[in-house]
Amino acid sequence: MAMTSRHDDDADNDLLEQLSEIMDRGESPTDAFLNRAPENRIAFDALTRFRAMAKNILDDDVASEPERDDSWVTGILSNIHREARAGRSIPVSHPSPKADLSLTEGAVRGLIRSAGDAVAGTFIGHCRLEGDVATPGSPVTVNVEASMFWGERMPQTAQQLREAITTSLLHHTELNIVAVNVTITDVHLRRNPKDEDRSAPNG
Amino acid sequence: MERAPLGDAADSILAARAADGDLRAFEVLVRRHGPLMRAYATRILGSNSDSDDVVQETFITAWERLPELQDPAATKAWLMRITSRKAIDRIRARKQDQPLGEWDAPAPESESPHQRAEAASQRERLTRALGTLSEAQRQCWTLREIGGHSYAEIAEELDLPPSTVRGLLARARQKLMQEMEEWR
Repeated sequence: MAMTSRHDDDADNDLLEQLSEIMDRGESPTDAFLNRAPENRIAFDALTRFRAMAKNILDDDVASEPERDDSWVTGILSNIHREARAGRSIPVSHPSPKADLSLTEGAVRGLIRSAGDAVAGTFIGHCRLEGDVATPGSPVTVNVEASMFWGERMPQTAQQLREAITTSLLHHTELNIVAVNVTITDVHLRRNPKDEDRSAPNG
Repeated sequence: MERAPLGDAADSILAARAADGDLRAFEVLVRRHGPLMRAYATRILGSNSDSDDVVQETFITAWERLPELQDPAATKAWLMRITSRKAIDRIRARKQDQPLGEWDAPAPESESPHQRAEAASQRERLTRALGTLSEAQRQCWTLREIGGHSYAEIAEELDLPPSTVRGLLARARQKLMQEMEEWR
């Protein structure tokens, strides 16, 4: 398309802008507009092609990247401040009155995730400890969000999660857990072909 | 009991876990989205020399801000948005506080037909055509067409008047059209 002569530039810009705005709204120009002048249709076709290209270009960029070693991942992870998520401090009793032993809330969340993930086909998402965890014996409620494998039965899975989490916290902490509430927020499919072997809910 | 690999989990679950301090979940997000973020940063920066740094800064910021993320299902879009901000910050630092509008420097000359013929794939052709845009034009185009930002958002990100963004985008589109159409 001839868009090289100086005096045409403004008209071309107007046309491109007009078309871009229509397309930005997710609409198509009318046939009447496209048939009015050949450059209208040429410009529309070209813009459509560029958009399709632009949409895929990052995926194409990624696909054409040579295989990289893992240093970029380790570089990122080593710059993360993990302490920021430690949360409250939970006292742990010890025979010696001089010893001051405690567990972080973050560590307890880690226990909960680990126990929950061990229930086949589930992942724990957010988890919250509600209650005064700093005072030994005070009632604590655990609220967890979880994702379950598509096709599992929700009530059974939720019950298994509650049991696994309760058992783990009883075993590893002195928290007085009065309830474990499970909210299923997601359902996922298996992505990893190695895990295709179907494991029964009771393992 | 079969423990499913965390790589099977959706972004929403991983983002929630990372917000709670789970570094393993964060690592899955890094591996899942890092390459696309790097490609995006490279497109905005115009070269890959700083894109690893941009991706690293993006993930450090993301880790800190994850607890504030309202919709964990939108994690990818959120990461891409931080990526573009970090890339723009870097360009701004490069330009040493020059207003972005003033570095709409003249673009390189159009490539010869011979150079164009060498570019085999569509991607290479578009990359070459983008190389003929000025930096500001390329940025506006990238944020608009790849990042999906609105004119108003681009104006805000680049700290330019919306009318300037409009003009830069119009010139970018026209130039790309010329560059791409000649070998069609």
